[in-house]
Amino acid sequence: MTLDLNALRRPVVGAIAIAALLHATGSVLIDGYSSPFSIRAMLVLAALLAVASIGQTLVIIIGGIDLSIPFIIGFANVVAAQLTGEGVDFVVVCLIVSALALLIGAANGALSAWLKIHPLIVTLGMGTIAQGLVLIWTRGFPSGSAPAFVSDFVSIGGSMGPIPLPGLIPAVIALAIVITLLMGRTPYGRKLFALGGNPLAAHYALIKPIAMWTTTFALSAWFAALAGVLLLGFTGSAYGDVGQPYLFQTLAAVVVGGTSLLGGRGSYLGTLIGAVALTEINTLLIGLGLQPSMVQAALGAVIIGLVCLYGREPHLRTTI
Amino acid sequence: MSKSLSSALAGVALLVVLLILNIWLNPTRFAPSSWGALIGLAAPLLCAALASTPAILGGRGGIDVSVGPLMGFVNAVLVTGLIGRLDITTPLLVIPAAVALGAAVGLVNGLSAAVLRIQPIIATLGAYLILTGLTVTIVPAPTGSIPEWLRSLSQVYSFVPILLIGLAWAAFTRFPAYGQLMAAGSDDRAAFTAGVNVTAARLISYVLTGAFAGVAGLSLTALIGSADPNVGPTYTLLAISSIALGGVSLAGGRGGLAGAAIGALDIFLLQSVLTFFNVSTFVLQVAYGAVLVAAVASSPLQERLLARSA
Repeated sequence: MTLDLNALRRPVVGAIAIAALLHATGSVLIDGYSSPFSIRAMLVLAALLAVASIGQTLVIIIGGIDLSIPFIIGFANVVAAQLTGEGVDFVVVCLIVSALALLIGAANGALSAWLKIHPLIVTLGMGTIAQGLVLIWTRGFPSGSAPAFVSDFVSIGGSMGPIPLPGLIPAVIALAIVITLLMGRTPYGRKLFALGGNPLAAHYALIKPIAMWTTTFALSAWFAALAGVLLLGFTGSAYGDVGQPYLFQTLAAVVVGGTSLLGGRGSYLGTLIGAVALTEINTLLIGLGLQPSMVQAALGAVIIGLVCLYGREPHLRTTI
Repeated sequence: MSKSLSSALAGVALLVVLLILNIWLNPTRFAPSSWGALIGLAAPLLCAALASTPAILGGRGGIDVSVGPLMGFVNAVLVTGLIGRLDITTPLLVIPAAVALGAAVGLVNGLSAAVLRIQPIIATLGAYLILTGLTVTIVPAPTGSIPEWLRSLSQVYSFVPILLIGLAWAAFTRFPAYGQLMAAGSDDRAAFTAGVNVTAARLISYVLTGAFAGVAGLSLTALIGSADPNVGPTYTLLAISSIALGGVSLAGGRGGLAGAAIGALDIFLLQSVLTFFNVSTFVLQVAYGAVLVAAVASSPLQERLLARSA
């Protein structure tokens, strides 16, 4: 079985090099940066970001963008905690959260594609509505927490038998393989790249844009909701704004991983490595003892610098 | 022109309805004698929406999401640095300083988005993080005070910042650069082949966005009367919503500042109606989202239905 080598060109190698370089820098500058605990912590954080970025990768390849991811993360986080706290069985909680997320996502995709409205506006509006409704429902003070097995699954100190890693890490690796196969080896994946690369050609190839956009945005919202529930296990209690950092981080992971925001080009493997690189940057900056506000500022500067290295758009003259 | 007019129609209709509703509910607040203060309340959002427009008109994903944080940054630098530390309070220096600071940040955004060709949303989200971080570092908590003339920019002279942006834009439209920007926005490849310097046109649009955001920061400072690190960033989403409501195409090349202003007034008047009924900020948030989606969906939906019945 061969994967699409074209999609795994330079950017992925670049992202790997940067992640390695950042890790080396951290190990030299900061004591204990490469200690088992710190590496496990970074892996868990990167895995959470990687889950949240699955949807962003798919949506950007189809030629859209999903700004509702941070809101859906917060929405799923709070709804899951609240329902669990009210004694609803966790399986039922997952079904309810999944159904609601799929519904919001499908509405995002259907509205954008059917009415040809920019997805940035639609997802922003739908995300705002979802978060507002949850705030009204919980009156701004969400309660409840995740069941213990979810917390164990994502806990930094967790282990699976002899392997000193929480279940989340192998699960995300398995998920990454599934997503890569979905994108590279299935009709869905081919249609995804076709639509993002050239919508008109895709139309002549009888690809249905509205169905594809609806499916893809629904998937995006579902993975965001999954990240929200995992974050609930990670932080222990519900927090409506838990997803806010993920707006910039998912976009940055996708772009650092070499996926073009113009659509039609990219890979999930790149996003995965982008998520690792971003987690390295974050940990390094915090480890250097910067104030949270300066960490934020430095993160912005570093990401612009990174994208400058290899994530730039081609010059207009090459597109004619 | 007619195309952008028709897509702004939903915004105009909403404006008329909201205006009538507001005047009916709250005649004293909307009486001519209190127009100064009323415009002062609306001015920061209005200016933020106007400021966000030029970068979007340039097309190919052109957008500046750092407008809100830039307003907050200008606010922090003016109140704590210029007025607080250097004790410079004359409008002849403070106003140009605000514009220059905004234009400088706009230039940096333009260099990374147009010249270095980093995807604009990434470049300006980076600027968003940098500006928010710097602002919180300069001003950890609300502080400072402002001179009397600056305060009057949210009272009697609240129209001045809006007028300033309007006149600057009107002047800009007289230059060939305006036509080149619109050409780049509607079809950059065609414009490039026709000899338009697309990169320069886009660079200028970001500088204009930055300079206008500087004026918006001035108007924000006049309204809140101090340096506050938390207010600025909230304007980004409201400004982009305003633009969408006002029928400015996010794909570029269509619409103008008038549409953005209508959208911003819609949002302000909606806010005003809902606060009259004393609803919680949560309901306000749902209402924003719902109106935004409904308004942007209404005009294409209408076209679809008309096309089907014809």
